[in-house]
Amino acid sequence: MTGLAAMLFREARLRATNATFIFWDVIYPLAYLLVFGVGMSSALGGNFAGMGAGYNDFFLAGVLGMASFGIASNTAWSLFMDRDNGIFYEMLTYPLSRAALLIGKVLFNGLIALVQALVTVVLAAVLLDVHVRWGGLPLLVMAVAVGTAGWFFFYAIFALMIRRNDAFNTVTSIFYFVFLFASSMFYPIDPLPYAFRIAAMANPITWQVDVLRYATIGLGRPSTLLLEGLLFLGFSTASFGGALWALRKQE
Amino acid sequence: MSDALRVENLKKTFQKRGAPPVAAVDGLSFAVPTGHIFGLLGPNGAGKTTTLKILTTLIRPTSGTAEVAGIDVVRDPLSVRRKIVVVVQESAAEIFLSVRDNLLTFGRFHGLKGDALRARADDVMEKFGLVQDASRKAMDLSGGFRRRIQVAKALLVDTPVMFLDEFSTGMDPILKRSVMALLRAEARRGRTIVLTTQILSEAESLCDDILIINHGREVARGDVETIKALSATHNATLEDVFVELMQQAPETPQ
Repeated sequence: MTGLAAMLFREARLRATNATFIFWDVIYPLAYLLVFGVGMSSALGGNFAGMGAGYNDFFLAGVLGMASFGIASNTAWSLFMDRDNGIFYEMLTYPLSRAALLIGKVLFNGLIALVQALVTVVLAAVLLDVHVRWGGLPLLVMAVAVGTAGWFFFYAIFALMIRRNDAFNTVTSIFYFVFLFASSMFYPIDPLPYAFRIAAMANPITWQVDVLRYATIGLGRPSTLLLEGLLFLGFSTASFGGALWALRKQE
Repeated sequence: MSDALRVENLKKTFQKRGAPPVAAVDGLSFAVPTGHIFGLLGPNGAGKTTTLKILTTLIRPTSGTAEVAGIDVVRDPLSVRRKIVVVVQESAAEIFLSVRDNLLTFGRFHGLKGDALRARADDVMEKFGLVQDASRKAMDLSGGFRRRIQVAKALLVDTPVMFLDEFSTGMDPILKRSVMALLRAEARRGRTIVLTTQILSEAESLCDDILIINHGREVARGDVETIKALSATHNATLEDVFVELMQQAPETPQ
């Protein structure tokens, strides 16, 4: 536990040196909802996709998924910074296991993701009149925590295996494009062309966002969501294994 | 006196795709008694850093065994890491943190906290001339000052074994002299220090025991006087002997 707590302390110290960054992390999903969500809501009217509610209700889960995806990729990118500063290799000689290093790295940023999600949900309900299902909050917390960790482990595989920062940035740009748009983040996947729909159904972002959508507004079938939740857990576990393998390859 | 380090027939081979294997460490065996300052010397590419990386659990050996504080580096690397502190060759600092926060953060990894940690941090900052810069971020300091932070961290904690890979890089002569005095004091307290350096006068003045390697193999071993006696020249310095030994050594690795 000492190593894990020390890693959490380190990440908190580092992030605390840039309060603007933390502030933006916390409010940017809400800002996204205010700009993009309100625009789309106005354009599409009050009964989006026959749900009986506006686009903001639908998009709330999408923006939470996008935010957790973004925090995870930024946290993975910080591995490059650690490597550039030389501290990464020194850290590998510290008395903490490789698993604790990875988990500790994402723990503080996972907490930021949770604060971000709660602020977004509360303000979306208050400012945008989103019909939030408050009973779904525990599921929301779980989906954000597991989601941020799972995506961080996934990105960490690439951050650890790719040596060049610019190459990693290219990979993240491709991932943003593929994962975000071939998913249920911005629109329901049922009306999509068949190939697009299959890609979206196989996309872990869809699994996470669907669970978040159920947690926030109660949309979705529990049996499908249980399967999607289990699939995402499997994806996170496999990514953790991959990140651990990639970290050990640094030795 | 027990051995803090025990290395038996250690080998490390690197192989890039399509290229023949290169033996960076090729059958090294040595032991370092507790409380000794041990110098691992050799020219660039001799295998010093690779050996240190194996001993500090950063890489695994291809074959052979290595124990630090009685613990096998391959079987139980985490326990080894609890017994060591390492100053890596590259500059390594939390550049966005202040000098003090660098020390406080590092101390926590080694189980220090609260007033005890703060007191120790103040103490090493005093010893390393860092008090005036305690609140400055490492990114605003020169390379030499960042190196001070790195070495200061090694003295912040009380691990039985300390590894220093070219610790004096970028240090001014005054600080270097005082750090060397601190290292001697640490060894007298029973800490074992393993260092590599290219500055042989530093090794001559500090080390109880020296191992000179080239192409991953032992070239000479002993205390400073034993090594110096290998030279035909009267009053030879360690550097003179080192150059003679390297000139006698084969040019290419086996």
